[in-house]
Amino acid sequence: MKRPVAVVGVGQTHHASRRADVNIAGLVREAVDCALLDAGLEHKDIDAVVIGKAPDMLEGVMQPEQFLVGALGAHMKPMLRVHTAGSVGASTALTAVTHIASGLYDRVLSVAFEKQSEGNVMWVTSPNLPFTPPLVAGAGGFFAPYCRAYIRKTNCPPHIGPVTAANARDNATRNEYAHLREPVTVEDVMNSPYLWEPIRYLETCPSSDGACALIVASEEVAKKGPRKPAWIKSGYSYAEAMWVPGRDQVSPLAGRICAKAVYDKAGITDPWKQIDTAEIYVPFAWFEAMWLENLGFCDVGEGWKIIDRGEQKFGAHLPINPSGGVLCTNPIGASGMLRLGEAALQVMGRADAHQVEGAKTALGHAYGGGAQYFAMWIVSSER
Amino acid sequence: MKNLRNVAVVGFAQQPVVSRDEHRTTHEMLYPTVRQALADCGVDRDAIEYQVAGSTDYMDGRPFGFVMALDVMGSWPPRQDLHLEMDAAFAAYYAWVRLQTGECDTAMVVGYGKTSEGDPNRILNLQLDPYYQAPIGLDPTSTAALQASAYMARTGITDSDLAAVAARNRAAGARNPDSQVREATTAAELQKTPWAVEPLRTGYLPPVGESATCLILAAEGKAEKMCDRPVWIHGVDHRAEMQTLGARDLSRSASTQLAAEKALAMAGMRRANEADVAELLTPTPSEELIVCEALGLAPLGLAPLGLAPEGSRPAINPSGGALCAHPIMMTGLIRLGEVFRQLSGRAGARAVPNARRGIAHVTQGHCLQHNMVWVLGSERRWS
Repeated sequence: MKRPVAVVGVGQTHHASRRADVNIAGLVREAVDCALLDAGLEHKDIDAVVIGKAPDMLEGVMQPEQFLVGALGAHMKPMLRVHTAGSVGASTALTAVTHIASGLYDRVLSVAFEKQSEGNVMWVTSPNLPFTPPLVAGAGGFFAPYCRAYIRKTNCPPHIGPVTAANARDNATRNEYAHLREPVTVEDVMNSPYLWEPIRYLETCPSSDGACALIVASEEVAKKGPRKPAWIKSGYSYAEAMWVPGRDQVSPLAGRICAKAVYDKAGITDPWKQIDTAEIYVPFAWFEAMWLENLGFCDVGEGWKIIDRGEQKFGAHLPINPSGGVLCTNPIGASGMLRLGEAALQVMGRADAHQVEGAKTALGHAYGGGAQYFAMWIVSSER
Repeated sequence: MKNLRNVAVVGFAQQPVVSRDEHRTTHEMLYPTVRQALADCGVDRDAIEYQVAGSTDYMDGRPFGFVMALDVMGSWPPRQDLHLEMDAAFAAYYAWVRLQTGECDTAMVVGYGKTSEGDPNRILNLQLDPYYQAPIGLDPTSTAALQASAYMARTGITDSDLAAVAARNRAAGARNPDSQVREATTAAELQKTPWAVEPLRTGYLPPVGESATCLILAAEGKAEKMCDRPVWIHGVDHRAEMQTLGARDLSRSASTQLAAEKALAMAGMRRANEADVAELLTPTPSEELIVCEALGLAPLGLAPLGLAPEGSRPAINPSGGALCAHPIMMTGLIRLGEVFRQLSGRAGARAVPNARRGIAHVTQGHCLQHNMVWVLGSERRWS
């Protein structure tokens, strides 16, 4: 990057399966207002707006940013709309970071949202692929074989998914914004029915209404702000083709390359030792073990062992998703930005009840498509 | 301007715009386009460091349509990537911002979509806000007609003026092998066509068309090696307005005017009429006149340049413009590609003699909601 970039404002809505108290514009505005308040800025201070969300068919409005210009405060400003499937919240924030890094802009508002109660998520997440019979089995139906392949490849024992899910729900009890805040036991998860074997009901993310907004700014602006910023040490988004013979769908190359790129740029040589906490995109419990390997926290086949030893728990060596993560809150378009925003809150020391003690360096991560799109950043408390 | 890099358009390829390509999917149309653009630059895919796509799920008729484009864009090994749910010209803008960070020197921009697979008028109704404007059944033709009425009421221009503008575009389109409508006609003939929505006649509107497009950008140092006559980006800016039709003066385009002021200032140009050629994304004659006025190409409310004698500078839409070929989500990128062709000696029978500076205008949304202005030149901008 040409010059340093920092997160100076973080805002999110309370998430629920149906936010009947607000329409789409109201939901977006709630997150934007929170972020502006957090940054001590007003709409007039914002140079440009970058908005992201997952498929427009989730709400039934084509390019909804066009009618949201007022709610976003984007009138007479540059505005871009990003869509990179599930990773979109993260790639939207990174698009805003590029705007600052280029030297063209000083304060950029990035926003991501989904109001899933407006549509039918199962239908929208069942895209029609060429030469493939439509499954209409949603994202879970698509990713269940990936989880099964992981289990088979690594001899991952059957309790790892339930342990991961119960831990996520335990984490969410400490996050006032989370959608699912009631704890569940490992036994509860085990006893919940399979939706797409090996994925059980309680190993599945909810469908949420929610929004997130992050304000990123130049060093000069960040230093003048009312709060300690989170410094963005690195951020990249990578994507890979789907039909590549021999493509590793369990640990996609794009994820490994993207992780290496953000670590190299941030000067991280040993992520297990140098990263204090990570917010990673886990829509189905088994993906936590899979991403621990893909992100280079351990060798192939060792991811589930970290979970088995409990080293990913709140208060343990590497707390994963202290917010409760996607398993407890999933407004799809916003989920990636929530990961990046939660990572930022951790290094700002402002994650309240789910603050990881002494967190100085954090990873935010999201993925999307058929495990093809990856977007990540490393944030730090230090400039 | 603060330390901007010289970045140039070094290649552009498109499929000739047709009403319906019966034999190819959107990705089958895109693949040869990408290969041609790369071949024209004399490089292979690995020479391109960043890729951005512009398309929309709603035109594709399915969620995640853009994911499949990764394969034909050559996304293996994994690439740094982004997708915007916008006209691909906005993707080109983001690629330019990305190049400004210095993190990469080359970028590929693609736009695609099978417009013929749906009914654009019905689909684009869904861009309007879902509470007030969409339910009353407005479509792009009826909103453009409202705008035309507002402009005619303010300026006193008549149906025959609109016909003259349309006829000029039609005459130009006949010289462009990539255009869809290639038959010149007279204003008198066009005035005999029936109302689509009064005051717009069917002869003043583009037919449904589809294509696939690819543009290559490169920074100084690489650009000269990839193109015999790189076309340098001197200035660019874009601005969005509120969508609500009743909240805007539809007879003017305030966002075009502001974007033009910023882009011209970046380019070090005092007035838009210092350009030799201008390609405007104006599918109707009334939009062309409004944009010309906002760019400062015609005195406010007076004799519109669209009616100026042949040979006037800048030449407006020598390609025939969007009125003769309007593949949605690509029409903007084609404007940029056309200015590249004009300034790099690739415009064939439609070449504007000795063209050295050009303007590309891009719009998105109903009634010119969001506008972008590019200023390009055959010489480097910054030394």
